[in-house]
Amino acid sequence: MEMDGGSASAPAGIEADSVSVRQGRSKIIYQFTQQNLPACKPVLSPAWVISIFFVVGVIFIPVGIVSLHASQTVVEIVYRYDAECVPESFRSNKLAYIKDSSIPKNCTKSLKIPKDMKAPIYIYYQLDNYYQNHRRYVKSRNDQQLLHGLKYHDTGSCAPEDVNHGLPIVPCGLIAWSLFNDTYSFYRGIDELKVNRKNIAWESDREHKFGKQVYPFNFQNGSLIGGASLDPNIPLSDQEDLIVWMRTSALPTFRKLYGRIEEDLDADDIISIKLLNNYNTYSFSGSKKLVLSTSSWLGGHNNFLGLAYISVGASFILIAFVFMLLHVKNPRPYGDTTNLSWNWKSMSG
Amino acid sequence: MAAWRGSRSGGDGLQSVEHISSSRTVRLGKVQPQAPGHRTVFCNDRDANALAKFKGNSVSTTKYDVFTFLPKGLFEQFRRVANLYFLMISILSCTPVSPVSPITNVLPLTLVLLVSLIKEAWEDWKRFQNDMAINNSTIEVLQDQKWVLTPWKKLQVGDIVKVKQDGFFPADLLFLASTNPDGICYIETANLDGETNLKIRKALEKTWDYVTPEKVCEFKGEVQCEQPNNSLYTFTGNLIINKQTLPLSPNQLLLRGCSLRNTDYIVGAVIFTGHETKVMMNSMKIPSKRSTLEKKLDKLILTLFCVLFCMCLLGAIGSGVFINRKYYYLRFDKSEKQFDPDNRFVVAILTFFTLITLYSPIIPISLYVSVEMIKFIQSTQFINNDLSMYHAESNTPALARTSNLNEELGQVEYIFSDKTGTLTRNLMEFFKCSIGGEVYGTGVSEIEMGTAQRTGAKIETQKQSNTAREKGFNFDDARLMRGAWRNEPNPEACKEFFKCLAICHTVLPEGDESPEKIRYQAASPDESALVTAAKNFGFFFYKRSPTTIYVRESHVEKMGKVQDVPYEILNVLEFNSTRKRQSVVCRYPDGRLVLYCKGADTVIYERLVDGDNELKRITREHLEQFGASGLRTLCLAYRNLSSDVYESWNEKYIQAKSSLRDREKKLDEVAELIEKELILIGCTAIEDKLQEGVPACIETLSRAGIKIWVLTGDKMETAINIAYACKLINNSMKQFIISSETDAVREIEDRGDQVELARFMKELVKNELKRCNEEAQQYLLSVPRSKLALVIDGKCLMYALDPSLRVMLLNLSMNCSAVVCCRVSPLQKAQVTSLVRKGANRITLSIGDGANDVSMIQAAHVGVGISGQEGMQAVMASDFAIAQFRFLTDLLLVHGRWSYHRICKVVTYFFYKNLTFTLTQFWFTFQTGFSGQRLYDDWFQSLYNVIFTALPVIIIGLFDKDVSATLSKQYPELYKEGIRNAFFKWRVVATWAFFAIYQSLVLYYFVVASSNRAINSSGKMFGLWDVSTMAFTCVVVTVNLRLLMMCNTITRWHHISVGGSILAWFVFVFIYSGVILPKEQENIYLVIYVLMSTFYFYFALILVPVAALFCDFVYLGVQRWFFP
Repeated sequence: MEMDGGSASAPAGIEADSVSVRQGRSKIIYQFTQQNLPACKPVLSPAWVISIFFVVGVIFIPVGIVSLHASQTVVEIVYRYDAECVPESFRSNKLAYIKDSSIPKNCTKSLKIPKDMKAPIYIYYQLDNYYQNHRRYVKSRNDQQLLHGLKYHDTGSCAPEDVNHGLPIVPCGLIAWSLFNDTYSFYRGIDELKVNRKNIAWESDREHKFGKQVYPFNFQNGSLIGGASLDPNIPLSDQEDLIVWMRTSALPTFRKLYGRIEEDLDADDIISIKLLNNYNTYSFSGSKKLVLSTSSWLGGHNNFLGLAYISVGASFILIAFVFMLLHVKNPRPYGDTTNLSWNWKSMSG
Repeated sequence: MAAWRGSRSGGDGLQSVEHISSSRTVRLGKVQPQAPGHRTVFCNDRDANALAKFKGNSVSTTKYDVFTFLPKGLFEQFRRVANLYFLMISILSCTPVSPVSPITNVLPLTLVLLVSLIKEAWEDWKRFQNDMAINNSTIEVLQDQKWVLTPWKKLQVGDIVKVKQDGFFPADLLFLASTNPDGICYIETANLDGETNLKIRKALEKTWDYVTPEKVCEFKGEVQCEQPNNSLYTFTGNLIINKQTLPLSPNQLLLRGCSLRNTDYIVGAVIFTGHETKVMMNSMKIPSKRSTLEKKLDKLILTLFCVLFCMCLLGAIGSGVFINRKYYYLRFDKSEKQFDPDNRFVVAILTFFTLITLYSPIIPISLYVSVEMIKFIQSTQFINNDLSMYHAESNTPALARTSNLNEELGQVEYIFSDKTGTLTRNLMEFFKCSIGGEVYGTGVSEIEMGTAQRTGAKIETQKQSNTAREKGFNFDDARLMRGAWRNEPNPEACKEFFKCLAICHTVLPEGDESPEKIRYQAASPDESALVTAAKNFGFFFYKRSPTTIYVRESHVEKMGKVQDVPYEILNVLEFNSTRKRQSVVCRYPDGRLVLYCKGADTVIYERLVDGDNELKRITREHLEQFGASGLRTLCLAYRNLSSDVYESWNEKYIQAKSSLRDREKKLDEVAELIEKELILIGCTAIEDKLQEGVPACIETLSRAGIKIWVLTGDKMETAINIAYACKLINNSMKQFIISSETDAVREIEDRGDQVELARFMKELVKNELKRCNEEAQQYLLSVPRSKLALVIDGKCLMYALDPSLRVMLLNLSMNCSAVVCCRVSPLQKAQVTSLVRKGANRITLSIGDGANDVSMIQAAHVGVGISGQEGMQAVMASDFAIAQFRFLTDLLLVHGRWSYHRICKVVTYFFYKNLTFTLTQFWFTFQTGFSGQRLYDDWFQSLYNVIFTALPVIIIGLFDKDVSATLSKQYPELYKEGIRNAFFKWRVVATWAFFAIYQSLVLYYFVVASSNRAINSSGKMFGLWDVSTMAFTCVVVTVNLRLLMMCNTITRWHHISVGGSILAWFVFVFIYSGVILPKEQENIYLVIYVLMSTFYFYFALILVPVAALFCDFVYLGVQRWFFP
């Protein structure tokens, strides 16, 4: 087979040679078989390399500065409260404290605002050492049920929080079960700052992932209570705390949006925070933090992007200089063959 | 029928091997095992044959049928380790242990299998169509006294068939009768061995008459013959008609696949049918060669397995340590074995399997398919169609018969070349002769001219001979032409000389019976050159019948007289490579019995009658002189036989001829009895001109660091001179010559004690080797280092290849840049080849054109056949076929080098991209409590290999060129990179691994670190799937851009494929995140839209790939700078 193919196609190749001028298509085939396709050959000559490095560096550094600036304008206050909010008597046994529902969990702390903060000021809670990305945790949910409610029965992935007392749980699964249940309220002096708890979840989640007609059912009715319970009269699509919580985090340290303070805060304002320290992070020695942060067009306080841009840009320029120095000191004309592999190999051995 | 020929071509390689090996076993004195029992066929009697249940004549070469295709085809596929591995992973991924849904692994596996199966099915379908065409072609079969057209498949053993001119034989036939007189017919065996010269077959005299249907009906014979076997050139059997037993030989057998020529029609009886025909028995698969790079690839895959194992082990231990009830929200309890904190060991083990499935993409599943595809296109489109390897004169393009070995061509370090037909043209021209101690012929051979140039002496370019030059005859000496030989001192010897030339051969005349128009069909060009010479001397052989040769003799009795003389040919003792001679016993019209013999000087001299040493000495001198001029020599001799001697011998001969077992061996033995006491006539010298461009080619190749060995059957002088002529050896080289042609050896030879001879030879060779090795060491240490050349002859080689001396020989020859082995047998050629292949572990290439090179071609890593002159046997056994030796430059330096570069790039790139991908996943595992949570969505992971990164790498495998074809021929030194395997060393792999680790770290940590705060002004946070989509986008972009960076040339196809791949990813993710799949977790649902609504996405998308490629940029820059 091969042989016939070979001998038949070779004359075709010859023919293509003669008629290639006329026929574009056969010309391409001819170029293909003779491996003569038009091609540009990027020669990484020193001049090119240096200029590419320079250009990248010159573009990256300003971008880095801009994003770093954006990040620096953001005022962020991080306040860890998990240890402080445990009464002195329970300090040695925090677990007993958090598990005893009879002990009131109120806790009031005050914060000083270091800089002016423009509204909206975002309130986050930050958990550490909390594996929302654990395999067992991530899969323990059912998107169909969240959207369609009780109509959807196949909730095996939610085990062990799929069925309770023989009745299905909505929303099922470990994620919903372990819903975060600390609450915060803020006072400036005696005025309560208004906290907007609406629109804290992505719109796409609210609109498309959580059903408007799906109401919590049989939720947190088991012997083990993991976290917050839900108002069975509000549809899931409006339970924004749940929606935020259900968008599982990528890392074991994560922040989730709690709400917005829609008033400006001035520097040196003293804010008192009344919080209910309900959520158990003590058993796995995770920390809980409260974060107040303004935002920029590039999001929250994160210098990483800006610094990365600047450092990458700087390294490019640095390398460009090194190359340039080398080039000036030890120029190698194009086409010089002294350094070609067979030469240096034979020199070395 | 062309297709039919094609379908057969695959199998023909073996037949030649078989041939060789059979002759080998004969030499070693072993008895070939034969199937016990005989087959008895009743001709023209279907009922009688029905009892024997012979197989039908329909053939099937397909591998599968409708029902077996799926199971068998899948089985074939899963014999590949990579596929089996992925099958296991797929099964694993169906268990709850798996972190990924089965789709992740099943989809790519299915795609890969689908591609392979479609290819298999397509090939099989073509085979099936071929089979159908063959089975349904028709043949005339005798039924009820008439010829009836019947399809081939209906044919049965014992049927009588009629084959017309140019028709193919439908089965192995017993030749009964033909329309030609004397019951002969001519057949062409191009389908079997590619030889286009016609061969004669002769029916038994008793069956000559069965030509017409009426007559044939009366034919009732019984054939007893051997069981079907695959030996094409042997057949033993007896025909019993009317209680008479007649011996059958291959001469009466017409093999399936041959075609009838120059004969109106023949009648034959079917003996073997269908799969039992000799040609079908031969059509086994040629054992496929695997390239060394591929073997190294297996090692790489194995290493990856180890890496995978380590990664999984690490993760498994981590998971065992991590698991703890304190993470109450994960609800670790006994309900699930994998998350049972009380049994950490089980947790670790199960997690190990989880991680294996998770990290499975580290083994590139599509690698083998892609590489296969690339190689296939490379060989069929590029090598086969290269115009610079197209030989216009013979209309022969280069031909890659296997696509496995393309990149092997880029790494060849040793070339073993045949001389005749490979370095030389194999256009034989009768050039000189020596008759009765007198040299005739005034020409100066090319080699002599080369020698003259070497020594500086000038020889006036001789004017073209005035005689009408004819193909095969380049002789100019007035003393012999036009009857002038009568006036020479020894006219009788001249006459015998010419008669010997005219009679002792197996040439067939074709065309008109006039000197101008006749064409000679000969098995070898030497023969036809000799017969042509005889014609020019006035002994015109013009007609042959099975028993008679007709020669038109001029000037014999007196000047100017022309007479036609018929010589009755009594026996032909044929040429083979063991005998190295050929004899004919003929009876003159006046009743004189003469045996004419021609053959290699050694064999003839052994058999000469004692006495007349002067003539022997002079002729030997002439032989050496001819040899020194690079001419091929043959000795001619004759013996007058008395009828008593002949008759008694003939009986033995007939006996041997009709024996069923070991017929060939017995015939050889019988021939020995009569081929003795010969009288030397003289010798002939035939010039074999060098092929065009050979010296230049050899020079280029040796500059490329390739060492060329010439293995030839010629004499030492000839070989050395050819080596000089093609610039393999020059005067500045130090030559080591190990020869058996010394006086001491001859002396012992004369004593005839074989044992002593062997002992002596061994000592001699040992000492010689020792001496040469020492000298070689000195030369290598001395400054300037001069190049070394080794010349060794077959006899010495035989001892040097002895296991005890082998190492010494190898050491010596490795130090030499050129080695010439002369007087070597095909077996020795193969031995030398495998010596270097196994002993030195270098890549070897054998190139040859004839049947005697087949074993060498198969022994080497790469076998190259010269398609053209001496038949197709070498081509059939080879991996690549080219028309001219000089195309080797293109094949190696251009195609081989490119292929090597490309395949290396493809393989390392595959390695890199999958490692990078998997490592990002690996880093993630550390932050998920070693739970084996996947970072990427199932579909992302499954399509990563088959869509998002598949096409560009194929493009690079096809189009990448580091330097142009002209440049790589101009600087052959570039080829050395391939010999050193510079692009697929562990160092290269380690470099890529380093970059993969670096890039994966950058990709993962940059994305993760930059996304852990709010990412837009609304203060909202990313979840796991947002981060993963971001990371995957960066991986796809980075990996594709890295490919663009490693290209040496960029065509628009590169842009299209790279751009297309990245675009494909975006298109896919747009669609994928826009739809809800039932029963799936909608992790990615709408994610990309969220992502793309942020500035962050674009900032990160620019930053991360650039940062990831930063190191590569620097590396490439440095590399270009200092080590381009």
